[in-house]
Amino acid sequence: MDVRVPEVPASYDDYRRRVREFVEAHKPELRMKEKAGLRVPDDPEDVAKLRAWVRALNDAGFASPAHSETKLDPYQARVLNEELGRAGVSVVLGNPLVGGAIKLFGTDQQKAFYLPRIASGEHIWTQLFSEPAAGSDLASLQTRGRLDGDGYVVDGQKVWSTWAQFSDYGYLLARTENKPGPAGITAFILDMKSPGVTTRPLREITGTTDFNEVFLDKVRIPVENVIGQPGQGWAVTTASLAQERGGVGSRGAEDSIAGLIRIARATKRAGRPAIEDGAVRQAIARFAARSRIQRALGYRVATKAAAKELGPADAPLTKIWFSELNLEINEYALSLQGPNGALAEGDPLAWQDGRFQDAFLYARAWTIAGGSNEIMRNLIAERGLGLPREARG
Amino acid sequence: MNFAYDEDQRLLRETTRRFLEERHPLAALRPNLETDTTLDRAVWRDGAQLGWTAMLAPAENDGGSVSEQPIVDLIALAEELGRVLYPGPFLAANVVADTLARCGDEAQRKDWLAPLARGERIAAWCASGDGSADASAIAVTATPAGGGLRLDGHARWVHDAHAADFLLVACRAPQGETLALVPMPASGVGVRVLKGLDLTRRFCEVTFSGVQVPSDALLGAPGSAAPALARMANVASVIQAGEAVGAMERLFELTVQHAKDRVQFGRAIGSFQAIKHRLADLWIELEGARAAAHYAALALADELRDREQAVATAGCYVREAASQLAGESLQIHGGVGFTWEYDVHLFLRRAKADQVLYGDPSWHAERLCRLLEAEVKEV
Repeated sequence: MDVRVPEVPASYDDYRRRVREFVEAHKPELRMKEKAGLRVPDDPEDVAKLRAWVRALNDAGFASPAHSETKLDPYQARVLNEELGRAGVSVVLGNPLVGGAIKLFGTDQQKAFYLPRIASGEHIWTQLFSEPAAGSDLASLQTRGRLDGDGYVVDGQKVWSTWAQFSDYGYLLARTENKPGPAGITAFILDMKSPGVTTRPLREITGTTDFNEVFLDKVRIPVENVIGQPGQGWAVTTASLAQERGGVGSRGAEDSIAGLIRIARATKRAGRPAIEDGAVRQAIARFAARSRIQRALGYRVATKAAAKELGPADAPLTKIWFSELNLEINEYALSLQGPNGALAEGDPLAWQDGRFQDAFLYARAWTIAGGSNEIMRNLIAERGLGLPREARG
Repeated sequence: MNFAYDEDQRLLRETTRRFLEERHPLAALRPNLETDTTLDRAVWRDGAQLGWTAMLAPAENDGGSVSEQPIVDLIALAEELGRVLYPGPFLAANVVADTLARCGDEAQRKDWLAPLARGERIAAWCASGDGSADASAIAVTATPAGGGLRLDGHARWVHDAHAADFLLVACRAPQGETLALVPMPASGVGVRVLKGLDLTRRFCEVTFSGVQVPSDALLGAPGSAAPALARMANVASVIQAGEAVGAMERLFELTVQHAKDRVQFGRAIGSFQAIKHRLADLWIELEGARAAAHYAALALADELRDREQAVATAGCYVREAASQLAGESLQIHGGVGFTWEYDVHLFLRRAKADQVLYGDPSWHAERLCRLLEAEVKEV
């Protein structure tokens, strides 16, 4: 066993310096505050600045390694990821999952046109999957696509689409054949400026707007915008969702744990600092242990991925571990603050301007989105452990 | 990046699994559940030939490991032993071997370590007065006498002391914590087998009453044992985690199989979400426990900077998860899980006893909290 990451050789110091200088010179000053999770600006000016920033990074060869075509050696990719992480500003706009779908199932023309424009920030994408009546049971989606000449005419309603209000394209699932369930679903590339597309931002429990409803009324989509084959949409989606679930939580929650310790030092319980309370110490240590195990589970996934041994239960495991630990840590952070835990952003007495309150509310996005944790448990039990499927209507 | 056993370690596991299936399967425990001893010396000696007691001993003392990371080799073994709830003193033997290898002089290694590594002599580890690994709980006093020390007091939760050929005793001398070797039987040493919740292993209370220890049976100078005691607690914690993960793995397999086989309301009970989600949660805990145990072993083997945190993490997570898994597995088994005849209660008893031995989870959690505090700077 060996999980040590080799030190970046000194010969990369110059590369690191160039990236850092570039980041310092081009990093945008945004009006949006840094918050928990994957957040979307509500100011169009911020979006324009972010587009310019991502384009500048791409032109300089410093686009996010996960989404760029630039060939980097592993040390360069690491240095670049570290330096972009330090910037604290998004380097990928919209929902980039469609990239995986196009890479795996797209035509050569689709690959040539869309992939570089995703990397350069020229195109922002949203995902048009969930519907008001099709959440966990995504395969029951009712948005219809009817073949009409050289295109499809699509009617329906989508929801939980991040970035849709600023998106150029949508990664859309619609039923094109009159079959129930996964069969008969087709994946499309939708130009969000098409006539008949209406986007309505949703305000969430956090008070901010990260998601949208999207209404589709007789929207025409040319046949060349199908990803893969008609009726193959479920396979296309499954491949890209697996990437989404596997991507979260491969690090620990060290920052939040340090946050708990700082709150416990600053907060009094019965006249003594909370950090001297045995119950508090036990709780913080249990979270820290689970955070450290989260990191070790990341090593486990990386090892299995390298050996091409990832199973259908592995991404659900990572997702449940991360999202439930994250939720519990943030819940605890509020109770640890005592009555001040009930304050929120904007109050001068709120700890770090309500950072943990926002994270507490946002934490439910992780336990629900990308396949709710209940669905994840079904996947583990049925596909991982081989338990029989339960009766479904 | 490789967070999995290497080829040799996988082979070691396979060999051990075949050996145990033949010589000491779970069913072999049955005749001895209520007798005074559960240790089969012939199996122990043959197990030693497979490396059970040799991994942490140097080659010149008849030791040797399969990889450059002997502690990782050890938890690979521990997992297999845990799967069959193997009753022998695997943990104690390796803690003692490690201590002799690190702290013993040449003569001590030759006389005490080599026969231990060969499986010819059985060692018992008298860690403390209450079964914890905390030096403050040492209840044996060492008084200078006749050029050596005289031991008085007691140690509890000493695994297989009634079958031991020698004891390694943590005691408190005027100079501080000290480690002493006592050959068995010895005048002034009393051994009583404790009646325990865990039916698979035998733990003992060992009493010391004016026991004379010559100076050449002390490991290092009196008062110098604190670093060794800390190391012993770490090694014990990692081996214990490995055994617990093996037991979890086996019990989980049995439980999943039961959920597939048991039919009620015309369906396998594993098709009901109430059972399915419980099993999914148990699998998550099993994988978490395995990751914690493996990382702790790796961190200790390679002396990684975060090894203390890694061991404390395994210490406060793994055995709690094992206990949780055992309880839930019994529940999923339903009525048959409540019978003496089914093996589930043996796993539950083992898990519950393990949870409190050699440093309970809250002790490890407190230790982890202290380590974290030292890392987090003031705001």
